[in-house]
Amino acid sequence: MSKKLLFLLAVSLTCLNLFAQNRVLTGRVFDADGKPITGASVIVRGSKSGVLTDENGNFKISVAPDAKFIIINSVGQLVQEQKISNANELTIKMAPADASLDEVVVVGYQSLKRKDLNGSTSIVGSKEIAMRPMQNFTQILQGKAPGLQVTGASGQPGAAGFLRIRGTGSINATNEPLIMIDGIAVTSTAFSLLNPNDIENITVLKDASSSAIYGSRAANGVIVVTTKGGKPGAAQIRYSFQRGFASLQPLKNVSFMSAEDKLRWEYEAGLTNPIIDSMIRNRRGVSLPGNATLFNITDLDRTNLWGTMVSRAPANWLDYYLQNGKTTMHELSISGANDKMKYFFSVNNFDEDGIVYKNFRNRLGARLNVEYKATNWLTTGVNVSTAYAREYQTRELFNSQAPWTAYFLTNPYEPVFLPNGSYNLTMLGFSALEGQDRNTFFNNNLSTFATGFLEARVQKNIVFKSLLAINYNTNISESYLQPGSNLAAILGYNQKTDGGTNDFQYVITNTANWTKTLGSKHNFNVLLGQEFTKRNFYSYSLAARGFPTPSVTTLDNAATAQTATTSRNQWSIISYFTSASYDYDKRIGVKLSARRDGSSRFGSNNRFANFWSASAWWNAKNEKFMDNVRFLSDLKFRTSIGTAGNVPNQFYGSLGTYALNVAYNNLPAAQPAQIANPDLTWEKNNNWDIGLDFGLFNNRITGTVDFYNRTTNDLLYSQPVSQATGFSSVLSNIGSLTNKGYELTLTGEIIRKKNFKWSVTATYTNNDNKVTSLISDNVPSANNTRLVVGEALNTFFMVRWAGINPENGRNQYLAADGSVTETYSLNNAVLLNGKSPLVRYFGSINSNFVFRDFDLSVQFYYSGGNYIYNAMYANNLADGGNASVGLRPQYTDAFNYWRKRGDIAQLPSLTDPTQKQNLTSDRFLEKGDYITLRDLMIGYNMPSELAKSLKLKGLRFYVQGSNLFIGTKFRGLPEVGLANRESGTPIQPGVLSLYAYPNTRVVTVGVDVRF
Amino acid sequence: MKRIITIISAAVMLAACSKKELELNPFNQIETSQAFNTETDVNLAILGIYQGMRANFYVNSTWNVIGDVLADNVIISSLGRQTLTTFGDWRYNGDQTIALFAQGYSITRRANAVLENIDKFPAGPFKDNARGEALATRAFIYFDMSRVFSKTFENATTADSTMAYITSTDAKQMPVKESLRGFYQKIVRDLTSALPLISSNNGVGRLNKSAVSGLLSRLYLYMGDFTNCISSSNAALGTTPVLPTRTEFPSVWADLTNNGVLFKISNTTLDNINTPGVNYYQTIGGLIRSEYVCDFTLRQLYEASDIRTSTYIQTSLWNGVLQNHIIKYAGRPGQVAGVVDAKVLRTAEVLLNRAEAYQRSGNDALALADLNLLRANRYSPYVPLTLSGSALLAEILKERRLELAFEGDRFWDLKRRNQPVLRNATTGDRADGTGVRFIFTTLAANDHRFQLPFPSSEINFNPGFKQNPGY
Repeated sequence: MSKKLLFLLAVSLTCLNLFAQNRVLTGRVFDADGKPITGASVIVRGSKSGVLTDENGNFKISVAPDAKFIIINSVGQLVQEQKISNANELTIKMAPADASLDEVVVVGYQSLKRKDLNGSTSIVGSKEIAMRPMQNFTQILQGKAPGLQVTGASGQPGAAGFLRIRGTGSINATNEPLIMIDGIAVTSTAFSLLNPNDIENITVLKDASSSAIYGSRAANGVIVVTTKGGKPGAAQIRYSFQRGFASLQPLKNVSFMSAEDKLRWEYEAGLTNPIIDSMIRNRRGVSLPGNATLFNITDLDRTNLWGTMVSRAPANWLDYYLQNGKTTMHELSISGANDKMKYFFSVNNFDEDGIVYKNFRNRLGARLNVEYKATNWLTTGVNVSTAYAREYQTRELFNSQAPWTAYFLTNPYEPVFLPNGSYNLTMLGFSALEGQDRNTFFNNNLSTFATGFLEARVQKNIVFKSLLAINYNTNISESYLQPGSNLAAILGYNQKTDGGTNDFQYVITNTANWTKTLGSKHNFNVLLGQEFTKRNFYSYSLAARGFPTPSVTTLDNAATAQTATTSRNQWSIISYFTSASYDYDKRIGVKLSARRDGSSRFGSNNRFANFWSASAWWNAKNEKFMDNVRFLSDLKFRTSIGTAGNVPNQFYGSLGTYALNVAYNNLPAAQPAQIANPDLTWEKNNNWDIGLDFGLFNNRITGTVDFYNRTTNDLLYSQPVSQATGFSSVLSNIGSLTNKGYELTLTGEIIRKKNFKWSVTATYTNNDNKVTSLISDNVPSANNTRLVVGEALNTFFMVRWAGINPENGRNQYLAADGSVTETYSLNNAVLLNGKSPLVRYFGSINSNFVFRDFDLSVQFYYSGGNYIYNAMYANNLADGGNASVGLRPQYTDAFNYWRKRGDIAQLPSLTDPTQKQNLTSDRFLEKGDYITLRDLMIGYNMPSELAKSLKLKGLRFYVQGSNLFIGTKFRGLPEVGLANRESGTPIQPGVLSLYAYPNTRVVTVGVDVRF
Repeated sequence: MKRIITIISAAVMLAACSKKELELNPFNQIETSQAFNTETDVNLAILGIYQGMRANFYVNSTWNVIGDVLADNVIISSLGRQTLTTFGDWRYNGDQTIALFAQGYSITRRANAVLENIDKFPAGPFKDNARGEALATRAFIYFDMSRVFSKTFENATTADSTMAYITSTDAKQMPVKESLRGFYQKIVRDLTSALPLISSNNGVGRLNKSAVSGLLSRLYLYMGDFTNCISSSNAALGTTPVLPTRTEFPSVWADLTNNGVLFKISNTTLDNINTPGVNYYQTIGGLIRSEYVCDFTLRQLYEASDIRTSTYIQTSLWNGVLQNHIIKYAGRPGQVAGVVDAKVLRTAEVLLNRAEAYQRSGNDALALADLNLLRANRYSPYVPLTLSGSALLAEILKERRLELAFEGDRFWDLKRRNQPVLRNATTGDRADGTGVRFIFTTLAANDHRFQLPFPSSEINFNPGFKQNPGY
């Protein structure tokens, strides 16, 4: 709908056709701020003659009778075509050209102007990043680049999301794109510690033409992050402040029974909970008969007992398990540049109280980027940053120690506190609140980046660059089972465990870049380079017991040492690479690139591998014959083909090994750890891409269309072996898969007036994932999924549910042959064609309004085509006679059980013991489609005169909301990444919902002052 | 020139990399080919077998409770965390039984590796003992795996099958099932081969000569081979069976004495595995909150004069309700609750094996003597019994149930004797017999659920490996 509307609007605006006369035209040319433009060229379309504007922006030009347009051209402004009308006096307002086209981005080991990027890339500029109150950047990237799918891991402060560029191309090896920050590849942890406002731009490299030069780690695309430098001019000092208020994003399409409802439901189910049981026992022979049970007392007595219980219960347990989330951000930056030096300095502090009880995260960071022109041919520079984050984590697993899980396990009729004021352990036997108070878990991350470089123009056309980049991450976690805590009492000891990791990585890159233009039209660019990367990962864990009092927290206070372990891993990569590009007059061009990588993760036979790409582009709009196709303001075709690689997650995956880190009877022992696979080799990716960029009606409408096909061969996978071998799997190369799809971006600048601008951008990505070959027809995988040729990766494999038998109230299932049976058998599990956890389509709708000093931006994000096993829903829905699960809180849907013959019910009879379990079946497999209002921001920029009077260069106020709305049919929340943190990364993000840290809804107010 | 020098010096400084940098090896592992070079390596590998038995089977698992949960010795506490209900309700499927299968083979794999490499070493006591331990541990695990997944020797026919008796470390094998009776013969062969090789002095934390005899006694009883059962029992028990006295008896469970223990899996305070205890209960606010409590009917069989009554069971309040909590795995005194060694083979069992073998081979007098020997060390006041025939056998089996209760023996024992599980349908989870009752009370002797299902992951992967009937 919106696309059509946009088109009509744009067409109507350009068709205001009027008749013209032969005469002399005069006019004045102004810029967007109303200042006259000097030296702008004014020519009549079709004629060779033209004039320049004077210092007041005035011009005078003679126009032939048949002339229809004059064209005004000025540096820094969009070329403007003006229809010649009746008027003899013209006032022409120029719109500023998109300065970002001249912006320099660092891609493929060289700095290129944005307009010279000819591959399939998406650039997210600082404007789109700055001042977005998002907890980290993976979220910022969501919806910003077509083809880049971002799934939040969970709502945990600081949790990095899952990034997928053009689908899921791997099973065992990482699916995350290579993330390069100022020349060094980093982990998502380091990435999430980066201050978003320090980023100049993020370039997402999707096709082979731009990513193949990154070689063995580029199979899943590359994200290149460049941090800010200074802009020419006087020092700019900026202070920003944000305050955010976070709350739970409500679960959709489900609600819990109230205390009253739950008690009534239990009664209907024939269940006596321990609390009411003890109340009845205490009243036997007093106010109740001596043989009283819940089921033989009068309705009045029962209602009274229930009333007493309800009166002791809290209005809502959530008020205790959760807290009011709050964020506070302060940031100061100073930047500037002169002809010798560019600098950018920033300090920032971001404090966040999560919405789960006691949870917080504080981040503190600073950065200094300096570039110095030592001589006219030599530039040196260094980017240094450090960030520290301290967090108090909550347990995040599927048991009552995790507050969020505990909410799903605590009955609404149980009191929070005992009469003596201590926490009620509830029927769970554990208080997550007490656990949060007294089983503390602190996590400290320190991340340091340093990139130093030397750039020398050894000859007019040759630039040599040498770069050393270091990324050092340390993590210290402290987990304390305090003396006197409930858990310490249950276990019989108190204990503190201090763990840590040292993650040190460096990269050395040397490049030589030759650029030359021959005959003013033949442009050459050749790059040669060499790189070495090494990563050293060291970790330790220390535990001791017998602490005298909770206030002492170092291990020297403990009576006995318990464990002391360390571990270490290393890997390294040696690389050689080159690229060469040629274009003719910016009209047509080709590019070739190649890279050879050696990785320590393979045996000596397969250590080295080669990668390459070839691409071509044609900028049709730069051709003469296109001059007359006036409605087309931009048209560019491009295509590319190439390869990239991927390495296993395992460091020593090809070796058969014995591990010596075990003991028996306190004596060292050895256990087989891994089966050898000397043939283990690289996972390889073949990509092709064909795309087109276009602009219509003076770029009122712009768009990009890309088709791609990404094939992964030699898929790395922990291939199952017979368990009788004593192992479950061996790391192998097992087959191939493809990701085929297309990406669309369409932007319409619907209104482009000085004081009123409105633009809309819509993106859509469609990705089809398919396994194309495997070592055997189908390979079992985790989380009730399989790998099957012809199906998407990890297609669900389950027993099919066939509703409740209206005759007897029992669950029915489909047998493998399709007949209906009441017997649940795993032999009846079948492949559910077309149902996999992989998202098939996603995109965003962004709208920006500017009206005078106010602006409004809206971003919707949508995603779908995936299926999620809704374990959270299954867990809070008891099937018949289910005493064990029946004493959990129940969703109100649980009332919809079979009562009598003929009932069409959602759930089986409550009292039939044969129906006691809700077993894994497609009954809880749900579509993950949703649309969410991810981001809404209203801002006010103080007019510059007013700001000046306050001695400011600029002042901005804004209010932003995230996750204000979500539309979905999923029961719960469909944005599932991790099942939950402590159960680790599932086989695919989103395969299973299981109490991950809940998503939040945040409203933020902020102010940004420039001095 | 200046420019060239700058570049070259920068490049040389930074580009200090060679292909050697790609040769990186693990820091906590050795390559398999280097794992059996010395006797020390063999020792590490053998301790690794026991480590596997601890980590994967007998200690850090449900082994000490599952055989009771499946049978009639315990009833789930309605006030507990509702663990293992799929087993107590006999509703298990192939998704829930992977541990006992995969973990079992992970242990026999370790034994097979020792056996494949031991011929590198010169003949002598070291080699003999290593071979003996590897053979015996392998047989021990295979016997317990077959008890779980298959019929037992006596109630099986030649048509019945079980999993494969794997004896190699080949990582590519795709085994099919094999005859159950043949499988038992392989266990016999391994154990009888191990017997002359294995040392008598390995200690109770490892298999030794008398433990292998004890295991043979159990095996022959399952096979109905009473002659061999008696002779193996004799070898295990020696001329005077070592039985802990009444006073010593509680100390066995607190790991203060090894009297009466033929083989146990060590679980040290550093190992800190509290699973044996947590399988039964946790202590909250000083009170026991049980997962499973002693069944009312069984509780009535424990007499006040029986030392096992107070050693195994504590009647105390939880949520204001008196329950019969099982305290056999409470832990070592002054140490972490629930952390104890797994006593997997005791002289009392061997004595009861022999008593049953005597009785069933017609020797009531010696059977009664063995029974009374055990009773004399359990009851006070003790009155010797004088029984014969089926009454004597019933009494031996009753003593067996009382002695081995809560050690995960009951279900396999009922299976061995082709008996149904008959739970008391009218009593509940409280000490007075009231409370929440069993939902399911009977498992007929021929029910397919006596044989637990093989893991669906193996069935799905290995098409030649067929699931047990009925699943």
